[in-house]
Amino acid sequence: MSTTPVPTDEAQRRAPDRPAAASGRQGTVERRSTLQKVGKTAMLGVILFWCLFPFFWLIMTSLKLGDRALNSPDLFQGPFGLDNYLAVFQLNFHLNLRNSAVVAGTTTILCVIIGSLAAYALARLPLRRKILLLSGVLAVSLFPPVALVPPLYEVWRALGLLNTYEGLYIPYIAFTLPLTIFILVTFFASIPKDLEEAARVDGASAFQAFYKVVLPLAAPGVFAAAIIIFVLSWNEFLLASTFAPRNPEIAQTVPVAIAGFTGAVPFQRPIGTITAACVVVTIPMIITALIFQKRIVAGLTAGGVKG
Amino acid sequence: MAGTVTEQDRRRPDAVPAGGSGPGKQQGLSERALAKVFIAPSVLTMAAVALFPVVYALVLSLYLYTRRQMIGFGGLQNYVTALTDSRFWDAVQFTFVFTVTSVVGEFLIGMGFALLMNQAFRGRGITRAAILVPWVIPTVIAAQMWFFMFNVTPGFINNLLGLGDYPWLGQSGSATAAIIFADVWKTAPFVALLLLAGLQTIPQDVYESGRVDGAGMFQRFFYITLPLLKPAILVALLFRTVDALRVFDLPRVMTQGAFGTESLSILVQEFIVRTPNPGYGSALSTLTFAVVLVVGMIFVSLLGRDLVIGEGD
Amino acid sequence: MGRRVGTAGSVVVLIVALIGCTPGGGTDEAGLVWAIGGAEAQPGGVHQAIAERWNELNPDTPVRLEVLPEDADGQREQQALELQAEGSGFDVIGMDVIWTGEYSENGWIDSLEDVRDQIEGQSLPGPFESATWGGELWGAPYNSNAGFLYYRTDLVDEPPTTWEELKEVGMAVAQENDMAPFVGQGARYEGFVVNFLEYFWGAGGDLYNEDQTEVLFGADDAAMTALDFMRTSLEDGFYAPGFNTAQEEEARTVFQEGDAVFMRNWPYAYSLIEEDEGSPANGNFDIAPLPTFTGEGTISALGGFNNAVSAFSNNKELAKEFVVWLSTDMEPQRMLGERGTPPSLAAVYEELEGDPVMERLGEVLPDARPRPPAPEWNQISSTMQRQLFPAYNGEADPQAAIDAVRDYLEGTIE
Repeated sequence: MSTTPVPTDEAQRRAPDRPAAASGRQGTVERRSTLQKVGKTAMLGVILFWCLFPFFWLIMTSLKLGDRALNSPDLFQGPFGLDNYLAVFQLNFHLNLRNSAVVAGTTTILCVIIGSLAAYALARLPLRRKILLLSGVLAVSLFPPVALVPPLYEVWRALGLLNTYEGLYIPYIAFTLPLTIFILVTFFASIPKDLEEAARVDGASAFQAFYKVVLPLAAPGVFAAAIIIFVLSWNEFLLASTFAPRNPEIAQTVPVAIAGFTGAVPFQRPIGTITAACVVVTIPMIITALIFQKRIVAGLTAGGVKG
Repeated sequence: MAGTVTEQDRRRPDAVPAGGSGPGKQQGLSERALAKVFIAPSVLTMAAVALFPVVYALVLSLYLYTRRQMIGFGGLQNYVTALTDSRFWDAVQFTFVFTVTSVVGEFLIGMGFALLMNQAFRGRGITRAAILVPWVIPTVIAAQMWFFMFNVTPGFINNLLGLGDYPWLGQSGSATAAIIFADVWKTAPFVALLLLAGLQTIPQDVYESGRVDGAGMFQRFFYITLPLLKPAILVALLFRTVDALRVFDLPRVMTQGAFGTESLSILVQEFIVRTPNPGYGSALSTLTFAVVLVVGMIFVSLLGRDLVIGEGD
Repeated sequence: MGRRVGTAGSVVVLIVALIGCTPGGGTDEAGLVWAIGGAEAQPGGVHQAIAERWNELNPDTPVRLEVLPEDADGQREQQALELQAEGSGFDVIGMDVIWTGEYSENGWIDSLEDVRDQIEGQSLPGPFESATWGGELWGAPYNSNAGFLYYRTDLVDEPPTTWEELKEVGMAVAQENDMAPFVGQGARYEGFVVNFLEYFWGAGGDLYNEDQTEVLFGADDAAMTALDFMRTSLEDGFYAPGFNTAQEEEARTVFQEGDAVFMRNWPYAYSLIEEDEGSPANGNFDIAPLPTFTGEGTISALGGFNNAVSAFSNNKELAKEFVVWLSTDMEPQRMLGERGTPPSLAAVYEELEGDPVMERLGEVLPDARPRPPAPEWNQISSTMQRQLFPAYNGEADPQAAIDAVRDYLEGTIE
């Protein structure tokens, strides 16, 4: 891999922040830099348009008032106002936000904890038939979700888990564990064994080797997994609409609530409130993702990682 | 320098374990036991929640039903009916076409995004946030949104591109294309995220030595980045593939499965919820499960060797 | 760092576990739970207003609405989950008119034969028929719905009475004004079957004979007439672009934007177009009964809801009283009419004659036909969708499609 036996942590930390241009070859650097800059800016523009245009459509539509504006293909046809947002909160949407935050948050935390332990065992510790286990872990999450619902519903009903947070985050954890384990196994496996061995030689137990050496170095993977779990559980619809279909004051989550919005009259599709709710939901999610993103980078910069 | 870091760690008072285990048999035992302890909670949770519905469906699929009433034991009758129904094979065809096309698309675009996000430039934070936007929008909403955009009424995309009355969702071919486009738009960021995390564990000095040896940008990408990224790539491909094989929300909302866009999951849902036949529906879901499982296993065997046995040593 | 995350995590989990959630309000032992969905079940909707009126009249036995999703499929799913599990959470079920047979076959609802004489003769015949299955009454008709022909009064003088006439007039006018002649519900869903049946019945066709011992679909040329009409309409451009992906809302948008001369839709669109001052159709439209192929009379598909009593309710007697009240008492039915939801009680229509929509409904409803509320209706509808939809889109042979549907229907009466 590299010429030194153990890669320097500082070099690793430097990785994401260094621009790709090499040093020392002035002429080629300038030409390459300008071309690269132009190319990059163009790519950037395309990417931003691709990602944000539909979101822009969401925002514009959520601000539109009245049937005429909402059904028009013209983005800028008014009248505009915040009525849709008011309507959304009158439907107790803030309670849905609370429910989703609790369920997704709990799922993420528990899944990361349980998953990293399992991933470490699979990557490092002696365990028989690892491939079989990996396959089993994967197989779990492959069943068509819609077919899982009837039997799970019966059991949940019998156990009194309907309309509860536990009734949601327990299956969520079970179904996101495979992805978590897989992501973390790749990260743990990519950390050179020498570091842990050094720690063990110094007297650390296997658990401490995991805690103090491997986990911090796998931080990007852990945070990537965390974001993914959070977003997946937040957006999960099928189980949530079966186990907690109504009652925002109890456990109804955001996607179920949005799907339940109605217009003023039957058949009418309330695209105004739907898009408003969507915007309300997306902005905190983006902020959360941004924070986690920074952690991935910060986790590698000098001083952020011990050992 | 790494050595100094670990020494510093060693000298911190709380780093020294209370009961240090020495080398030899004792360490071996506690390691194995530790492994079992570490993996137990995951296995228990997954078995408890996910295993039993699979078994339940398997058992159910062996019985014959007329609507919701059971009329007898059928053995493999339901499976025979499913496998000889052209509707099943149409669904398989659409599902595979969709999967291959959208996963390839997501991978290429996701890789591009990841490489870009890995660079340093002004506005990087905003770009990273922007790239995640498609993915954080709930799927049902995104599906509604793309329906709105593609459908002739109100004809948003037609308006934008000046296509008049082109019936995107009203004919075979373009309906599939629209659904694939919507899926790629939505999940390329997920792939990008996985690949980005992988990119950021590649140490910079590897690129340095490559540059020193005279490797150009493309050579560095193909001979250094890609091989080191292989595990992350395989994980991303694995999960995107098994998810794409079970696509449901997008075709359901955008076309209701018309014009050849009925996926396997829509077919399953048809027989579990819309026109319920518990036996047949369970057989269909088991068949879908089998298909997805086989594909998944192929990936795991490609992946497993790398991950578990060594880091490409 | 690892340790801190670990402790933080456990603390959060603990807090969450403590907050937990208490499953909310248990069953109202003295009162009723009415499981119904849609826009009118929301706070401010007419179902809520009616429930409040009942509560005023019966303070000791209040009724509470359990608000189900907007779409019929979603409502059916949630009702099915509760009833299949034999739960007592719902006392009164708001059933779409096509679910009667299915729900009774599954043993989910109780027969209302003992209160039949209170309801029969009071409700309109179509809704009443939709609430019966196997000769027994299973639901109490509540609200109804029928399809209309919306047309532009500034472009068309007299609403046509046959489909051929409508096609001629529509194509001519549309060409002059750069519009589409007609829009309806042509996407592959239940609405398509409704539209198709309106053509089919309008051609004199019938699915089964009187006592359902024989399949009449495909035995005469009504099915082919209907299917051919749809197929050529799509080809010739009589149908607006996007017809084959349009549901109710898309059709309304096309007409409301002034892009269609005629529209087939439910009454709900009337008030929306009337209120939309920016619409070219605003002030320039009216509703008429749907045309037929024979030119005689009119036919439209029946929609709406019936209320049933859950077989697992703890309050069956009270529930029965409630559904009968909803169905036959002038007050709730009048409230429905005043709020724009077509009532099922015949007598109310005389009172509502000032309202153009209600007046028109009063004319049309006696001729509105229910889809057979057979237990296998979902399967039949699904078969019709899968066979007839590609046929009218030119992707399958019409005769083969009709034969396939006929075969399926014959399988249902064996």
